[in-house]
Amino acid sequence: MSQDYLLLTLFLAIAVIFPVIPLAIAWAWCRIFTPPKPGHDKQAIYECGLESKGPARIQFRAQYYLYALIFLVFDVEAVLLFPIAAMGGFGALSAGSALAVLAFLCLLFEGLVWAWAKGILEWK
Amino acid sequence: MNTALALFKYLTPESFLAETAFFVLIAGLFKATAARRTALLSLAILGGLASIAWLVLNPDTVNIAHGMAVIDPLTRLGKIAIVALSLGACVYAAASAIEEHFAEYLALILFTAIGMMLLVSAEDLLMIFIGLEMTSIPLYLLAAYLKKSSASAEAALKYFLFGGVSAAFLLFGFSLIYGSTGSTSLQALALIPRATASDPVFLAGVAFALAGFGFKVAAVPFHLWAPDVYEGAPTPSAALIASASKVAGFLILAKFLTLGFVHATGSAVWNLWQPGWLPLVAVLAAASVAVGNLAALSQTNVKRILAYSAIAQSGYMLIGLLAVGQRRETAIASVLFYVIVYALTTLGAFGIVGIVEKRRGGAQLQHFDGLHRSSPGLALALGVFMISLAGIPPLAGFFGKFYLFAGALGSVTSASDGSLGLLWVLIVAIVFNAVSLYYYLIVLKHVFVAPVPDAPHAAEPQPRTAAGYLSGLLAVAVVVIGLYPPLLLEPIAGAVTATARAAAQTELRATLNPPQR
Repeated sequence: MSQDYLLLTLFLAIAVIFPVIPLAIAWAWCRIFTPPKPGHDKQAIYECGLESKGPARIQFRAQYYLYALIFLVFDVEAVLLFPIAAMGGFGALSAGSALAVLAFLCLLFEGLVWAWAKGILEWK
Repeated sequence: MNTALALFKYLTPESFLAETAFFVLIAGLFKATAARRTALLSLAILGGLASIAWLVLNPDTVNIAHGMAVIDPLTRLGKIAIVALSLGACVYAAASAIEEHFAEYLALILFTAIGMMLLVSAEDLLMIFIGLEMTSIPLYLLAAYLKKSSASAEAALKYFLFGGVSAAFLLFGFSLIYGSTGSTSLQALALIPRATASDPVFLAGVAFALAGFGFKVAAVPFHLWAPDVYEGAPTPSAALIASASKVAGFLILAKFLTLGFVHATGSAVWNLWQPGWLPLVAVLAAASVAVGNLAALSQTNVKRILAYSAIAQSGYMLIGLLAVGQRRETAIASVLFYVIVYALTTLGAFGIVGIVEKRRGGAQLQHFDGLHRSSPGLALALGVFMISLAGIPPLAGFFGKFYLFAGALGSVTSASDGSLGLLWVLIVAIVFNAVSLYYYLIVLKHVFVAPVPDAPHAAEPQPRTAAGYLSGLLAVAVVVIGLYPPLLLEPIAGAVTATARAAAQTELRATLNPPQR
């Protein structure tokens, strides 16, 4: 029983030491061979894009999200309708599945009507 | 009949609610007037009643898609209770201060009800998780509904963050359970060999899942969200969270533990602990009862008092689950009886708090001063609710507690090894139940004894409202069930027994042809 725990302790010790050693070597290497010398050119953005203008914390209009959500209505409609169009239109469907598709489209359309009537589409 | 058609047929009650919600959304686009508000409410109630009627008239027992949706007498009873309680929340919403986007509020309550109905009919870990999410997400929105109130936003954010963490716990627990057994179906989990049931990974999974459910039912130490959410959220939302969501939470917790994990119970007997879910539930129960009742003593806001009372009541209900080891059916029936009685009581109490809040501008204890002068009916109903919550005969709360404690006491009398069984939990519960009387009576002291405030019209009789009538009706229900408990207990016991009989047949069949893993 105690043997088992000895193994476990050993395992724990190795698990701690194993990542610590490379970190220590890296730290020592950094201290000895590459002392930090910050400068203007060294800290420039360089190849990673343009210098940013203005603060990063800006208010992002919530309406963009609403537009994106309403865009989903058309997105899902297209995903559903495109295969039907490729198959040869509603005439190719059985009555039951045509009805199911129409019911689903009505549900999606209701979302659009609701958002429109609530005035969400007006950019304020 | 293929699975999709069967789903469509047997989930008709849920479809009714969904269609009603969509109709309410469209109808809510017309300019809101008082008459249209009533019309929207009537529409929602009509849809709910249609759903209840379908549930009553179609007593089939079916299992769709291997436990994704199981319709049996027990879940049907749970669904009826959930729809009825949600409709109660709709009535209170109509009387509340929610003026803007009222139709959407009703629709969200109905969507929550659909989530809870799917939740209680699930017998599969994945479906339980989806049901919990479908319940929680509309509830977060309902808690945040007063857009201009910072308390509501705070409540919703706390509820959302705690809910998200609890969902993560639950999912992690489920993944451990699935990893060690290879199955997500509760019925298949009930058949696992005993060796797997004592596997530490499996037990850790059960413990994580219990933590997740603990958040849902607000058991200590996972209760921290409850007081702030109950206080900050709009009162009808708090009423829904405290009543229907609690019924669904406890029903699914009881199903989860007693159906899937019958072989992993362990033992919660003092000094004879065995790993399993019983000791965890026992500790959660004792801690909830102690912390909930003690913390309620120093509250000055009635909604916070009700929140801490809800935490303590969760503890009592968990005690009911402890009795599962002796007589499973009786234990589930007593928990269900208590949770339904509690939901009726707390729904009515929150309704009255909402009325007072709207009339006097707050839910602090002093806002209830002299309520018996301005509205004697409401004061009387609140008295009934508080005394029932405290568990004083002859009200329904007393019999609920009696059945719960009697079930747990069965473990003492039936212990063959001379141990005292679960007596320690019972002692904690009964001691702190006596403590709870103080804060329930403080509320009644403000209602009946404190002098009427000087504010103009404070003592004038107030007009009666639909919300007031509903609270009165709930108070009458609490009294009648208290005077004649079999009225509610017999349907519950019948449903539990019928479900157990059906389950025993399934189990026999499953033992003869084991399910494919």
